Amino acid sequence: MPKVTLDNLEPGMKTAKPVVNNTGMVLLGENTELTAELIDRIRNMGVDGVCVHGAARPSKPKEVFLAELDDRFRNVGGDPHMDIVKRAMQIHIEGLYEQN
Amino acid sequence: MSKIDVRLVREKVENIHALPTIPKVLNKLLGVIENPRVSLNEISNFISGDPALTTKVLRMVNSPVYGFPGRISSVNQAVILLGLTVVKGLLLGVSVFDLMQKTMIGLWEHSIGTAIFSRIIAVRKGHKEPDEVSVNGLLHDIGKVFLVLQFPEEYEKALNETQESGVVIYEAEKNHFNTSHASVGSWMARKWRFPLGLIDVIEYHHKPHLTKNTPLESSIVHIADILVRARGYGFPGDNLIMPVQPEAWELLGLTEKDLVEVLKEAEDSLQMTEDLTL
Repeated sequence: MPKVTLDNLEPGMKTAKPVVNNTGMVLLGENTELTAELIDRIRNMGVDGVCVHGAARPSKPKEVFLAELDDRFRNVGGDPHMDIVKRAMQIHIEGLYEQN
Repeated sequence: MSKIDVRLVREKVENIHALPTIPKVLNKLLGVIENPRVSLNEISNFISGDPALTTKVLRMVNSPVYGFPGRISSVNQAVILLGLTVVKGLLLGVSVFDLMQKTMIGLWEHSIGTAIFSRIIAVRKGHKEPDEVSVNGLLHDIGKVFLVLQFPEEYEKALNETQESGVVIYEAEKNHFNTSHASVGSWMARKWRFPLGLIDVIEYHHKPHLTKNTPLESSIVHIADILVRARGYGFPGDNLIMPVQPEAWELLGLTEKDLVEVLKEAEDSLQMTEDLTL
């Protein structure tokens, strides 16, 4: 249930929590399907982000994510346990992109 | 290379109250949590008497780091639900938040991430007090805050060394201070009379195979630290990862499948807390 910034909202996403403005007023209820009009409307209403169902698309391309992973693990290559951690992380990253 | 004398570091920790870099509100708070006989009521009143602190505590307990997001509306309720040990740790956590934000960008996220992973692993392992393990995770790197604040120039050299030589910050600290954030953090925790378990985990989170008292908790925080680094969440002082201690690995017995599930479970919480400012 990630919080998505207004720029990254897309029609068809469903709210996972009520959308409130910065004074706490509820603008949209839970489980509302967003449309282009709704997104436009809440853009001007002091909302800092919207919690939506499902995972958000990660903000960077998968190749970058995986390359950064390789870089972080560069000192521990060949360690049998760390190889397992790295594989689990690769599967996890793949999963983040598949859900969309 | 010239090193900071470890005795000087130790001395500064012992005199932490008199240090100009430690904010007044933190000192006031430490006065309260240092008292081993402080009651839940006193803690609760202390928090409630400070609106800024109240807001921070409520934001924190309602964050996905704990199991009941969005349901706790009063400090009293938080203190009762979480218990004294967790609330004390949490108070220190939220109080060093500002310091972390000012001294080391990303250390707060790293700490929160470690708290989230620690809790998830503790629950999976059937630990009786997952929230306490989570606080251990939240505070495991508190020694870094002290080192950056007290020895900014030397610490910057250590940070540069991680970039240049590709060593993790824990090793670079030893090259510059003859000690590490783990030892410094445990001195602080002892000075503040934190529970023995917490002192122990802070001291041994890089070498969980050496503790006699908290092998399970230290191993959990050790692996949580590695997972949050693997995920690339936050910044602990370097962009690298250290190998897991084989004993900790054996003790927890996590398989690749387990790890994938833990990562998946943590993902939502991580994304939701990414912008958790207190």
